[in-house]
Amino acid sequence: MNTLTDRYVWAAARTLPETQRAEFGRELRERIGDVIDARVERGAAPADAEHAALVELGDPVQLAASYIDRPLQLIGPKYFLAWWRLLKLLLVIVVPISAAGLLLAQLIAGADIGEMIGTTIGTTLSVGVHLCFWVTLVFAVLERSPGSSVPVTTWTPEQLPQPRDDARAGRLGDLIASVVFLVLFAIAIVWQQSGAIWIDGERQPIPVLDPALWSFWIPWFLGLIVLEIAFAIVIYLRGWTWVMAGLNVLLNVAFAVPALWLFLSGQLFAPEFVEAIGWPWGEASGVTVAVFVFAVIGVTLWDIVDGFLKAARNRGGSALGRY
Amino acid sequence: MDETTTGHIQELRRGTVVLACLIRLRTPDYGYALLESLNGLGILVDANTLYPLLRRLEKQGLLSSEWNTEEARPRKFYRTSPTGEQLAAALTTDWRRIDDALSRLETDSDTGEAR
Repeated sequence: MNTLTDRYVWAAARTLPETQRAEFGRELRERIGDVIDARVERGAAPADAEHAALVELGDPVQLAASYIDRPLQLIGPKYFLAWWRLLKLLLVIVVPISAAGLLLAQLIAGADIGEMIGTTIGTTLSVGVHLCFWVTLVFAVLERSPGSSVPVTTWTPEQLPQPRDDARAGRLGDLIASVVFLVLFAIAIVWQQSGAIWIDGERQPIPVLDPALWSFWIPWFLGLIVLEIAFAIVIYLRGWTWVMAGLNVLLNVAFAVPALWLFLSGQLFAPEFVEAIGWPWGEASGVTVAVFVFAVIGVTLWDIVDGFLKAARNRGGSALGRY
Repeated sequence: MDETTTGHIQELRRGTVVLACLIRLRTPDYGYALLESLNGLGILVDANTLYPLLRRLEKQGLLSSEWNTEEARPRKFYRTSPTGEQLAAALTTDWRRIDDALSRLETDSDTGEAR
């Protein structure tokens, strides 16, 4: 029968490279034997002494690691920063590109909207997880390869970041809000095409917008949404200026004027839709129309004024705020 | 003793264990006997530190080793190698220098207080 010592030595030695096992086993037996002897000398029973000696030595794998300087961490201080920087860089670049690529591919393939969003989210998540896993695996292997000193880039003062532009950080919230809203808006425009009304829990093939608009006006609005996203990104990078506020007016007018004209001339909504929701188009229509028109004009004007206000504040603020 | 003090004392002692081993092993000895004699001298060192340290010093060529199989159990006897002697000399010089410097610091600050 194997003694506890035999089992301990075997457990510790098997984690070592084979060439070192025999010598290490001998050394460890000597050490355990000496501890047991010392305990027996002090009056302990041999079995108790062996048990106590092994408790003193602790986890055999940890002990073996300390003998051969094996790292007991996944990625140690030597590679940690390189790993962390590379991971962040790859995530920021690869994940959005793959998400955009997936969306585009499915748009071209004509997948329906639910499937499109589901596939994109699912696949993007797994791309992120794979990225984290493989990058970490490579660095963990590096950490465990003795003697291989991969040249981790040395730091130079040129890598120092510019102190963070607080104004830009403040605009990040605006950027995210604008992009999320615009993307949802674009998705809604495409999505409503295959029906936005449920009767008795069943989706009716009734679009909200008149399908005739697909020949020109819906692509026009979708194009404007793309421009608006580009505009939001430029605002984030550069901040508001008078020129940008002027462009903002053009974008708003390009959106609101056709929308209002289509609405007032009765071309905006699909007739089936108006009928299906029982729109009070007849006698009470005056109020509904007025509310709609005022809402559109109000939102548009507010957006235009907001642009000029921010441009004005930015002019005053930047001179003081920079330095 | 609180945790901070223990930590700093351990750090201060870390390098001196190497020096103590190199000097002590001018006469060959095995791990457990070395551990006992160092602790007996007041150079407090843990077995989990000492055994891996002996192995590392041997790998670096600072100690040589030989198995003694004459007794009931085989034991590995370590002895300071010529390279180990050179290192011991360098470490001792440095140790003295630091000791001197610290003493001078102490005297300076004493006279400073007296002024």
